[in-house]
Amino acid sequence: MSLILLLTQQMCVYLVIVYLVSKTPLFKLFTEEAPRFPHKLFIYLVFSGFCIMATYFGEQTNDAIANTRAMGAVLGGLLGGPVTGFFVGLTGGLHRYSMGGFTDVACAISTTMEGLSAGLISHYLRSQGKRELIYSPVLVAMVTLYAELMQMALIMLIAKPYDQAWELVRQIAPPMLLVNSLGAAAFMSMIRDQKTMFDKLSSAFSAKALKIAERSVGLLSRGFNEETTAQVAQIIIEETKVGAVAITDRDKLLAFIGSGADHHIPGTPIASQITKDAIEQNKVMFADGVETPYACSISRQCKLGSSLVIPLRNDTEVIGTIKLYEPKNKLFLNINRTLGEGIARLLSNQILYGRVEQQQNLLTQTELKLLQAQVNPHFLFNALNTISAITRRNPDMARTLLQQLSQFLRINLKRTAGLVTLADELDHIDAYLNIEKARFIDRLRVEIDIPNELHKVRLPAFTLQPIIENAVKHGTSHMLDTGHIQVKGLQEGDEVVLSITDNAGLYPENPVEDPEQKGLGMNLVHKRIQNQFGCQYGIQVKCQPEQFTTVSIRIPLEEV
Amino acid sequence: MISCLIVDDEPFAREELADILEAAGDIQVIGQCSNAVEALQAIHKQKPDLVFLDIQMPRITGMEMIAMLDPDNMPRVVFVTAYDEYAIKAFENHAFDYLLKPVDEQRLAKTLDKLRKDLRPKDMTVIAPDSLEILPCYSGNRLKVVPVKDVEFVFSDLGGIHVATATSQVHTQMTLKLLEEKTPLVRCHRQYLIMPSAIREIVLLDTGAEVITPSGAKVPVSRRYLKSLKQMLGFQ
Repeated sequence: MSLILLLTQQMCVYLVIVYLVSKTPLFKLFTEEAPRFPHKLFIYLVFSGFCIMATYFGEQTNDAIANTRAMGAVLGGLLGGPVTGFFVGLTGGLHRYSMGGFTDVACAISTTMEGLSAGLISHYLRSQGKRELIYSPVLVAMVTLYAELMQMALIMLIAKPYDQAWELVRQIAPPMLLVNSLGAAAFMSMIRDQKTMFDKLSSAFSAKALKIAERSVGLLSRGFNEETTAQVAQIIIEETKVGAVAITDRDKLLAFIGSGADHHIPGTPIASQITKDAIEQNKVMFADGVETPYACSISRQCKLGSSLVIPLRNDTEVIGTIKLYEPKNKLFLNINRTLGEGIARLLSNQILYGRVEQQQNLLTQTELKLLQAQVNPHFLFNALNTISAITRRNPDMARTLLQQLSQFLRINLKRTAGLVTLADELDHIDAYLNIEKARFIDRLRVEIDIPNELHKVRLPAFTLQPIIENAVKHGTSHMLDTGHIQVKGLQEGDEVVLSITDNAGLYPENPVEDPEQKGLGMNLVHKRIQNQFGCQYGIQVKCQPEQFTTVSIRIPLEEV
Repeated sequence: MISCLIVDDEPFAREELADILEAAGDIQVIGQCSNAVEALQAIHKQKPDLVFLDIQMPRITGMEMIAMLDPDNMPRVVFVTAYDEYAIKAFENHAFDYLLKPVDEQRLAKTLDKLRKDLRPKDMTVIAPDSLEILPCYSGNRLKVVPVKDVEFVFSDLGGIHVATATSQVHTQMTLKLLEEKTPLVRCHRQYLIMPSAIREIVLLDTGAEVITPSGAKVPVSRRYLKSLKQMLGFQ
C-alpha cells in the first residue's frame, strides 16, 4: 500500500511539470500534427528525462526498483512515433541497466520494448487516420497496462533466480500497473485539455477577426471620412465588445462609438497625447490603466480607463489612428489588443486599396480624356482650314461639312468610358471620314464592309475611330498615290474581328508593344479592350512596308 | 505678269489660293501640284517666278523639297503652313515670306506687294536640310521616293539623271552637283556618282577603272577621279 502512495507521489511530480509546460509555448511541441525532427528531439529529451528521473525516484524493493518509468516510455512512443519511442525506451533502459540489481537486464529490455511498442501503436493509429485516439486517456491507460504486464513477464522470464523474481513481481506488479496506467492517462488528458482549449481559443479569435474583416470589407476603400469610419467603428465595437472605439485622421476625431460618446465629438481635434505620439512615432501605444495610467483628456467624468492606440498606415505614412477603450472597471483583454492590431492592418490595407483603385479610375478617365483630346487640335484645325477654303466656291458643301464636324464633336463630347454598339462607333467614324474625305478628295477612298448583324456588338467607346484616324494620319496621308482604307467585320466563332487595312504600309511593326511610338491611341485602345474583355482580345498589327498595314481588333461577340 | 506655282496636297486649299491670286490681277497661276515630286518636275519645266509651297506634304515636306532644288533653278518661295511652329520661327529669323493657313487675304496682299518690289530668289540654304535621306524620282508616270541608302549609283545621259538601285533605275530632276553635295554619293566620273557603301570591287583598266556593285552593275571610274576614290577607301 505504501508503495502505491510513493509511486503516486512520484507521478504527481510529472503532472505538475506537464502543467507548467502547458503554460509555455513549448507545449505546442507535444501536440504537433506531424512531428518533425526538432519536435521529435524535444519529445525524446523530455521523456527520456522522465524515464531517468523515474528510475532515480523509484523505490528500492528487494534489490530491484519499483518505478514509473513505463509512463515516460509509453508517452514518448505515443507522441513521438516508433523511432522516438525506441530511443526513449533504450535511453531509459540503459540508464536502468547502469544501476545494477538482479533485474537490470530484464528492465532494460522491457523499457525499450515499451517505448517501441507504444510508438508502433501510435504509428498504426496515425496511418489509419485515427490520430485523435492517441490523445484518448482510456487508450493510453490500456497501452501502459499492457506495457507493464509485458515488463512483469520479462522480469519473470529473464531475471534469475526465478523464485526471487516471482516474489518481486508479486510485490510490485499491482502498484506499478495501477499507478503507471493512471498516471499516463492523467498526463495525456492534461495534454488533450490544453490542446482543445488552445484550439477553441484560436478558432474563436479567428472567427472574430474574420467576421470583422467580412463586415468591414470595402467600407474604407470608398473613402476615409466620418461616414465610413463611423460604420467601421460600429462593426468593431459590436464584434469585440470593448468599451468604446474611436477612429481619427491625423488631426481630428472622425468617429467615436461607445461609452463617452457624449463628450468625444467627431470633428473635434485630437486631444490625447498618446494618440499624437502614436501618429508621430508610427507606433502602437497602450495605456493599460494599471502600469501606464490613462485618463480622458476631455472630461473627468469619462468612464474610460484604458486605451490602445494603433496607427493606420497608408503605404508609408500614418494617416490616422484607431483606438480601442475599456472602462475603468474592466481589464483590457490581451486578445483585444492583438485583435486591434490586426484590425488596424486590415483597415490600412483597405484604405490603400481604395486609393489605388481611385487613382486607377482617375487614370482611365484621364486616358480617355487624352484620347478625346488627341483627336482635337490637328484634326479640328485641318477641318476648319478645309471648310474655310471651300466657303467661297461651294458654300453649300461648307455648310454640310460644318454640320458633320459639329456632329463629330458632339459624339466626342458625349462619349464616356462605357461600352457602345458598333453601330454607334460606325456613326462616329462616318462623321470623321466625311471631313477627311473633303480634305483629300480623290486621294482617299474608304470602303466599309461590316455585316448588319454585327452592328449590335458592343465595344469600348473610341475603339474604331482612333485606329482609322491613325490609318489616315500616319498612313494614307503620307502617300503620293491614292490611299485606300478598308474596314471589314468578320465573325469568327464567338468572336468578332474588325480589320482596318490601309495601302500605305507606313506603320511601325509593332506599335502596340511600344507606347512611345505613334501608337499612343492604339495602345490605349488595346489596353481598354483587354481590361474590358480579357487578355485573349485586343489589337494586332501586321505591316508590309510600303504595301499595307492591317490593324485587327478582336472582341467577343456580345450583343446588347 | 508674275508666273506662279501652287504646291499643296489639299485640293480645296490650292483652289482657294489660286482664286485669291487670280483676283490680284498681275499673278498668273501656271500650275498646281499636290506633292513635292510633281512640284520639282514642274519647277524644272515651267520655271515659275514664284512658288507657294505647303510645308506639310506626303513623303517629302516643303523644306526637304527646297534642299532638292538646284540653287541656280531656285524660284522665289512663299511658304504656306498650318501649324509648324518650328518652321515659322525659322522663317521669321531669316525674313522669308510665309503665309498661315487659312490664308488671310490682307496678309497675302502685303506679301504680294513686297514681291512686286523685289522678286529675286533668296538663298534658302539656312533653312533647307543639309543632307537628304530620300530622293524624289519617277519612272514613267509613277512617282517614287527612293531612300538614299538604297542607291548604288547615279549617272547622267541625254535622257537626264538616272538613279540606280539594286533592283531598279528611275529618273530624278535633281542635278549631279546637288546630289554630290547633299548625299554621301561621290564623283567617280564626269557623268557618274557612286555610293561608297556600294563598292564591291574595283577593276583597274588602261583607261581608269570599273567599280562593280553588289547587284553586279559596272560603273566606270575615270582616271581623274580614281586616285581620290582609292584614297577615300584607304588604298595608297
